[in-house]
Amino acid sequence: MTQHSSPMPPVQPPGAASTGDRWSGRALAAGIRIGGLVIAILIVIVVFTALSKPNTFLTFTNAVGILRSMSTIAMVALGLTLVIVVGEIDLSFGYVYGLASILIGVAWIIWGWPIYLAILLAFAAAVVVGSINAFLVTVLKIPSFIVTLGTGQLVFGTTLLVSNTATLNPAYPPVGKIVPKDQVDWFFGLSNQHLPFDIPMQAIWMTAVAIIIGFILSRSLFGFRLKAIGGNPAAAELARLPTVKYKFAAFIICSLLAALAAMLDFAFIGSVQPNAGVGLTFPIFAAVIIGGASLAGGRGTAIGTLSGALLLAIIANGLALLSAGSYLSNFVSGAVTIAAVVLDRFTQSLRK
Amino acid sequence: MIDEGAVAATDPATATAVRGLRIRGLRKWYGDTRALDGLDLEARAGEILGVAGPNGAGKSTLIKVLAGETRADSGEIELDGRPWDTAMDRDRVAVVHQEPQLFPNLTVAENLMVGREGTRATVRHLNTQERSLMRDLAILEVADRKLDDVPLAIHQRVEIGRALARDARVFLFDEPNSALTQEESKDLFRRMHLLADAGNVVLLVSHRIAELAEHTDRVVLILDGVCTDVLEGEALTPDGIAAGLVSGQAARDPSEPVVARSEGEGTGLRLTGWTHTGGEFADIDLHVKVGQIVSIVGVEGSGARELVRSIAGFERTTGEVEVGSRTGMPAIATGTSLVSADRHTSLFPNLTIGDNMVSRLGREIATGGIALRRRRMLRIAHELRDQFRVKAASVRLPIRSLSGGNQQKVAIAAAIVKRPSILVLEEPTRGVDVGSKREIYRLMREYAGRGHALIIYCTEIPEVFETADLAYVVSEGRLSDPLMVMTYPDVEALARAVTRLERHSTMPNQAAVPPLGSATV
Repeated sequence: MTQHSSPMPPVQPPGAASTGDRWSGRALAAGIRIGGLVIAILIVIVVFTALSKPNTFLTFTNAVGILRSMSTIAMVALGLTLVIVVGEIDLSFGYVYGLASILIGVAWIIWGWPIYLAILLAFAAAVVVGSINAFLVTVLKIPSFIVTLGTGQLVFGTTLLVSNTATLNPAYPPVGKIVPKDQVDWFFGLSNQHLPFDIPMQAIWMTAVAIIIGFILSRSLFGFRLKAIGGNPAAAELARLPTVKYKFAAFIICSLLAALAAMLDFAFIGSVQPNAGVGLTFPIFAAVIIGGASLAGGRGTAIGTLSGALLLAIIANGLALLSAGSYLSNFVSGAVTIAAVVLDRFTQSLRK
Repeated sequence: MIDEGAVAATDPATATAVRGLRIRGLRKWYGDTRALDGLDLEARAGEILGVAGPNGAGKSTLIKVLAGETRADSGEIELDGRPWDTAMDRDRVAVVHQEPQLFPNLTVAENLMVGREGTRATVRHLNTQERSLMRDLAILEVADRKLDDVPLAIHQRVEIGRALARDARVFLFDEPNSALTQEESKDLFRRMHLLADAGNVVLLVSHRIAELAEHTDRVVLILDGVCTDVLEGEALTPDGIAAGLVSGQAARDPSEPVVARSEGEGTGLRLTGWTHTGGEFADIDLHVKVGQIVSIVGVEGSGARELVRSIAGFERTTGEVEVGSRTGMPAIATGTSLVSADRHTSLFPNLTIGDNMVSRLGREIATGGIALRRRRMLRIAHELRDQFRVKAASVRLPIRSLSGGNQQKVAIAAAIVKRPSILVLEEPTRGVDVGSKREIYRLMREYAGRGHALIIYCTEIPEVFETADLAYVVSEGRLSDPLMVMTYPDVEALARAVTRLERHSTMPNQAAVPPLGSATV
């Protein structure tokens, strides 16, 4: 400290430097978080196995079913995690999901477009909505909560307008419309390939998305800066981080993943109706929050969000097997979400 | 008189030596930081007592204790000869800040009444006493306007009014006029004198030396949590305060040569006709050579801070700028880095120490600008930790685990690692311990020596004396001629010179004569 005249000290070799550098408080807290989620998931599995009739809950078929049922929530929640990490909120993704699926249906079945162009249109629409959200948030500086609350309704209105509130099914097109058989097969094949062990196609898509978002959040410059911007926007501005560009990217990716989930669900179910996606807002937010992302920004992981979605899917599945009634499902998922935040506060305070 | 009633109620015969505020051995430590370290202070009723001291000397803590916002660890406070528990009895004191703590969504009248509505559920109206109070303060005509819609000067009068309405005795003015116009300042000082004449205890905390000399009866100097000197009578001059504030604080580092460092020939920075769009400064010409450390000095509200921030591109300006060989805003964006005074805006609380250090880097830490090179980030962080002597067991610890001084070193490291040709620092050692201060000065000199230029915004003269080659004083948005810091034998001499430059342009008669931008030395 007091040797003013000494030259710059020698640089430590990289290997030696990492001694005593292994576990930081933050990494430990993140570890506790994921560990806690794994324990919660195990407890829920044990409880449902005990409560349910033999050979209903803890079976391979049911596990595969859970994997499929969580995939929609997980994919959109992974996109939402980016938006939350950068310190914003998106409430419009559920409606983007609805618009995307309706656009594919209408353009393909009613307008007679090739399926590939119809899908392109749906993704383009998602990019437009994401861009409008980001523009209003970054350029006009309107809080994202208000922006996306509004754009969500605009998008929903558009969906109703475009669909004419009709349910569409490519296998049974309206009178006078023809849908080529090869396109129907290709489209349904997006979610219904016969894979070994009956693994659902959507789980493969989900895994791919999770790997990409996981890379973004923990291994990319983009993710590093998203965390910085979300952690302290004022400092990010002084450091000249590309805040506007990155927020555009986060909102667009979130919308795109909503469109992807919509397309895959349409392909799996085989039909589409304009109300699709309306009920997604809560479970997707719940997955992100249970996964440990901070609504204040700057914190969130792909593995956490994925675990959050898994926990919710197991609970929904288990309660359904017990024929518990849907109100109980609402009770439990609401309680679990709040409990997750309470536990989070607790572990955070332990760290201090 | 502002409050005739209050004056009439106090019997002049009892107004002997016990009347006033008496503080004995006031002590307040925050961990190892001794904010107040046994401070003694006496403020007589009927006088304006000036309080001066460098940032971090303990002034704000003293105000917080008197305002009842925090409790002292030990010490006695007496008001008019009786013990006064400031935390319990907060009605006795009024604090007039630069930005008063009022309710912007309520009207002026509601602000005056709020907190004293009583228990009735109905809306209360102004009583006659409050009306006359507001008339005295010249705020009655705006009684029904929202506080948000009236100027700051009126906010402060509302604050005074609130205090008078609850019979407060002690008035603390904390840098009250940094954001006021000259006319408004004059009015505020008039009211301060009225409050004092009415037998109240009035304390004025200010960095504006000329105003302290002009408006106070005595000035106490505070340093390192104790009162070091009291200036009154003959000794109460601007030069006296300026020298007293800095005496014995800065010695030139004996290991540093007293000759000027080798300056490069190249231009580091050139500003021509540099003007703030918001009017904080106008028509400034400045030339900084490579290798120089230039300090911009000025009190809050003078435009000095805004000038320094504008050099890094964080204020709206017009005029020409040249950084190295490039010009315009792109030159600023690529050639400058700013470290703000407030660590809340210079660090990322959710990142580790190491990640904070490399937070401004891009392709240097990511292959193709995409995939992070974690090992490389760690190596850079370790190099910076050693070079900056950051006291951290591991660079993977949260940034909050560091002391203020070490956090500041991390903030500066994060800016320096980008290698900007102009490093812009806002109060680089504010809230920093002495040891870290030395380290930071060493790093600044080292960086300048490697062919860069530094521009620092300073409010403390010792900092200028220890680090800068040239010092400019900003006053009323105009830049003085440069002071060659090396030519001043001691910090007191430099302080006197700076104070003179500050005073020159605030003198109303002189300020009107020279055109904008010309120096008034």
